[in-house]
Amino acid sequence: MGKEELFQERFNRYTTALKGGKPDKVPIRLQLSEFMAAYAGITLQDIYYDLDKNIAAVDKILADFDMDVIGGTPSLWWAGQHDAVGAKYLKFAGRELEENRQFQYVEDEYMLADDYDAFIADPTKWILESYLPRIHEEFAEPGSYRANLALIKGTAAMMMSTGASQQAGAHWAKDFGMPLSIAGFSKAPFDTLGDTLRGLKGIMMDLRKRPDKVLAATEVLVAHNIFYGMATSGGDTSLPAFMPLHRGSYPFLNPKQWDTFYWPSLKAVIEGMWKLGKQTLFYAEGNWTPYLEKIAELPDHSIVFHVDQTDMAKAKAVLGGRFCLSGNVPNTLLAYGKPGEVKEYVKRLLNDYAADGAFIIDSAGVMQADVKAENIAALIEAAREFGTY
Amino acid sequence: MSEKLVNLIADLQEEEALATARQLIEGGTDPMAILERCREATEIVGKRFEQGQYFIPDLLMSGEILQEISELAKSRMKKGITTGYAGKVVMGTVEGDLHDIGKNIVAFFMEANDFQVFDLGVDVTPEKFVEKIREVQPDVVGMSGLLTVAFKAMKETVDAIKEAGLREQVKIMIGGAPTNEQVANSVGADAYAKDAQHGIELAKHWVTSC
Repeated sequence: MGKEELFQERFNRYTTALKGGKPDKVPIRLQLSEFMAAYAGITLQDIYYDLDKNIAAVDKILADFDMDVIGGTPSLWWAGQHDAVGAKYLKFAGRELEENRQFQYVEDEYMLADDYDAFIADPTKWILESYLPRIHEEFAEPGSYRANLALIKGTAAMMMSTGASQQAGAHWAKDFGMPLSIAGFSKAPFDTLGDTLRGLKGIMMDLRKRPDKVLAATEVLVAHNIFYGMATSGGDTSLPAFMPLHRGSYPFLNPKQWDTFYWPSLKAVIEGMWKLGKQTLFYAEGNWTPYLEKIAELPDHSIVFHVDQTDMAKAKAVLGGRFCLSGNVPNTLLAYGKPGEVKEYVKRLLNDYAADGAFIIDSAGVMQADVKAENIAALIEAAREFGTY
Repeated sequence: MSEKLVNLIADLQEEEALATARQLIEGGTDPMAILERCREATEIVGKRFEQGQYFIPDLLMSGEILQEISELAKSRMKKGITTGYAGKVVMGTVEGDLHDIGKNIVAFFMEANDFQVFDLGVDVTPEKFVEKIREVQPDVVGMSGLLTVAFKAMKETVDAIKEAGLREQVKIMIGGAPTNEQVANSVGADAYAKDAQHGIELAKHWVTSC
């Protein structure tokens, strides 16, 4: 089969499932991440700093494993881009960490409680004038020669890494017949605020001490996060935007807090993108079982619901038929289990939840360098054996 | 009034709880008795969390209230009086992992249950664990991790403790979302704690049966 035909076959298989249909086989989408570097024998330092090696690691995986889509390169970011602006909140192998250590995000209250009003009045202005200088050495003095130069360097680096990703996508399609699994990226407004601005402790205290500010800030972020999802996908509507979801997982918030602070703005972002034809990959990290009924309020097929530790049987009962589900081979099993155990898990998973289509097989969470190659091979072998309709 | 303090803390009424604690101290109540009330309140908070009534924000809030009150009480305590600890615990998030919400909650509950806690923070190397164990001679070592890569670090830490000849002196528990009994066995720990309450029960059991 030619690469073009192969691409079409895989793309149809994947998008049929996304839309709730029953393709010829259960599509295989694996969030392989840093495992790809380990498998290709490339250090994490090289993956973070060398764009070519970051892409070469994927080539090695695509040559050896039979999957239907690929999520991108092992490194989320080009570390050089963050070095260009002196990012203080990230640590990379080869700089602060030894060469094979996974990157680290240093959480802190980078936005203070007193910043809410300025943030709500004009988030972009506040980010440029207050936030960026706080978290980047090179922006410490806004308007200075050094800060201006860093803005140019940062922008150039962003364009270089985005350009390299686009070329890589075209190369995987042409040379391996491999489509991408996602196009674009967005977040729940509460996570935008809680992950990198207020931090966990900050936002959890805000729920009691300044609930109105939290609500106003998440509302301001709705339009921004819709725009961000569309902009990062270049307007593509054939593939879902990736949305990793964090603080909405159980038991971070009580049901009332979830209903009040987490859900309305997240729902508005998903519905806003869906109006533009854009589906969301609802990557529900952790356990979301208590919130399934609420999630079912979303328009049919506006999301693909990814299961990590959510009860798969309940997810199927509440969301099945209206939304495609994906998941959930446990990462612990993939890193520490035996191929036979992986195969058994996949067999049961497909048998119980994939019979009527609208199912994509994946690991429960994003994988790390410790996953065993023979377990990935076992997952794929079992998915083909038991996942052909 | 000290009964009222327990309820105010357990109900997370920050300002009223602080005001009541202040009144008690100024009225001559023994600061140690206030700390005991704090411990009782934590027990209620822990039960409510276990029963699904309380969530993470509530635990963080109770932590903040207790910290304020215990600082107030400790500032009034006569110097030289050391409290009798139930036991000593050295804990940290293992090397390569930075997730600390769970570890902080466990540390907080351990302290509230009269354990003396030496929290080494995140990304803690096996050497740092060994060094601290040698220094403070704890009863219990707690290792936390949210990433599967942490398992390797947990095993390396247990191995380092063994090599240092300290393994027989401590009980080791692990915790964190991807961990389970099987992981505890394979890294060479004594037990897996499914949540903070369970971790405290384990530690109490170990200390009393040693």
